Amino acid sequence: MTTPPLRLAHVTKRFGGLVAVDDVTVSIEPGQITGLIGPNGAGKTTLFGVISGRLAPTDGRVAAFGRDVTGWSPHAICRLGVCVTHQIVRPFADLSVLENVMVGAAFGGGGRVDARAARAEGMAVLEFAGLAPRAGQPASVLTLAQRKRLEIARALATRPSVLLLDEVLAGLTPTEVAQAVALVRAICARGTTVVMIEHVMHAVMNLSHRVLVLNYGRLIADGTPDEVTRDPQVIEAYLGAGAEAGGAHD
Amino acid sequence: MIGSAPGAPAVVRPARPRLPAAPLLAPALGVALALVPVAAPGNITVLNLGFFTFLYVAQGLAWNILGGFAGYVSFGYAAFFGLGAYTTALLWLGGWTPVLTFPVGGLVAAVFSLIVGVPTLRLVGPYFSIATIGVGEAMRILMLNLDRITGGASGLNLPTAVPSKAWFYTAALLMAAVAYAAATWIRGSRFGLGLAALRMDLEAAETLGVRTALFKNVAHMISAFLVGVCGGLFATYFQYLHPDTVFSFTESISLVLIALIGGLGTIWGPILGAAVFYAVQDYLQTSYPTFHLLAYGILLIVILLFEPRGLAGLAARIWGHYRPGAPPIAAAPAAPGAFGPPAVPVPGETGSHVPAPDGPGPVPGSTA
Repeated sequence: MTTPPLRLAHVTKRFGGLVAVDDVTVSIEPGQITGLIGPNGAGKTTLFGVISGRLAPTDGRVAAFGRDVTGWSPHAICRLGVCVTHQIVRPFADLSVLENVMVGAAFGGGGRVDARAARAEGMAVLEFAGLAPRAGQPASVLTLAQRKRLEIARALATRPSVLLLDEVLAGLTPTEVAQAVALVRAICARGTTVVMIEHVMHAVMNLSHRVLVLNYGRLIADGTPDEVTRDPQVIEAYLGAGAEAGGAHD
Repeated sequence: MIGSAPGAPAVVRPARPRLPAAPLLAPALGVALALVPVAAPGNITVLNLGFFTFLYVAQGLAWNILGGFAGYVSFGYAAFFGLGAYTTALLWLGGWTPVLTFPVGGLVAAVFSLIVGVPTLRLVGPYFSIATIGVGEAMRILMLNLDRITGGASGLNLPTAVPSKAWFYTAALLMAAVAYAAATWIRGSRFGLGLAALRMDLEAAETLGVRTALFKNVAHMISAFLVGVCGGLFATYFQYLHPDTVFSFTESISLVLIALIGGLGTIWGPILGAAVFYAVQDYLQTSYPTFHLLAYGILLIVILLFEPRGLAGLAARIWGHYRPGAPPIAAAPAAPGAFGPPAVPVPGETGSHVPAPDGPGPVPGSTA
């Protein structure tokens, strides 16, 4: 039996009295696209924060590739091969698109890469992500769809084995969603394990091999997209009296 | 490379504004300035002017490695200058040759920068700046009271056997050249890329694998080392040290002003800034002893209002304007990214996104 690229054991994160993530235990399968869904405020981004090292879990362990990475700093986790994108895109505005990607290439999981090699690798990643024509422009002039693409490209440049995508489809037009979906598929086809938080249901159901559902911090469903959509708990979480989809943002 | 053929797609062109032909201009300028003592060995006024200007250039460039490249605006660099000066002074009194003491002074300053940097560099933006004011002032008061070592309020007299003014001129020029080389190398290196990334977004840089805490401290130590060496040179020149001179807040703030006037985060900024700064100080301080501070204030406001990229930004803008075939300045995108991709590639020299005038401190990360 192979070690899963990511394994969470009883991960809990509390902010004061609020339990954002409640005793989540799950293993992510290699080479798959795993969708992470749930109503707003369900703790999805917090869970990503715990995995990526931005937040320390209150309880529980996070293991990546069989190594316990609980309490590691984000740069160390990135170098190990787990890279997260940000829900609110955060390009380095003063740097060019290429230089943004070069940061990932120079410092990520590829080991020490000097500026020249990082430039070549950055160009290759931009080609892959369809941003090559924009390479010389400042990141600040990109559209939202391009910024999201840049966010993904920058993370890809770190050569992640596991890519955590936080709402990369949100706010895109249907055409842009289709393009981004194709990009995520291509990333998975390269052998990268993808975990994606997503609210665009048709896209996530279409893409994912497996879907995890969080509600009030708890993992309430885990299965294929078909199984999950039939799950009564999931239907209640989204449509039931207590939780309204499209409520306040988390 | 920078001035690519007209019509060529601006694909791999860096977006940051840069001065033209900078790699050749600086060495040429350096060689020309190095010939001044040969041409006019007896002109004390010129040699003194050069000495102080170059010393400020070196310190401005050094300060800018942390303050400009990494975005950590420190108001505490007098501590490094003073430590370098006193290290040189004490070792000189102990029988060392002054020149040999310079690197030791730099090392003392670098070690001290690590001690204060580890806790303070965890703070971001103005919080870091305020902490550095405290560190700088605490050092000054400490040194005033350590009168057994520093001479305290009566100062420290140093041996008078010192080299000629031409020697000091050349030494300071060399120091400026070293600082220029260090800054230029850092800017183009992997290290510089990491500093730029952490300046713009600390958390995003960290998630992309940048060891932000390490990088900030290394940048701090490199710049403190250079400023410490400058302090040693200063002590040798003056042959008299007083804590209120070398540890003064004015010294700290001078470096901030030099970088801001010249252009934060650029190579040419501190060079131009130091030249203007010392010229203003030299002219005004002799005639109106306190008026120069007002002049700096006005200069600073004018620059922040009209050209936040400082004199270097202004120079780049003028050069871009008069370059044959250059797009007009108005072509710079005023509201980036508002209405989809621009139809034309954006020229490198007119990148519109400038650091915030009050120091491009890293964006504090959201905590939830």
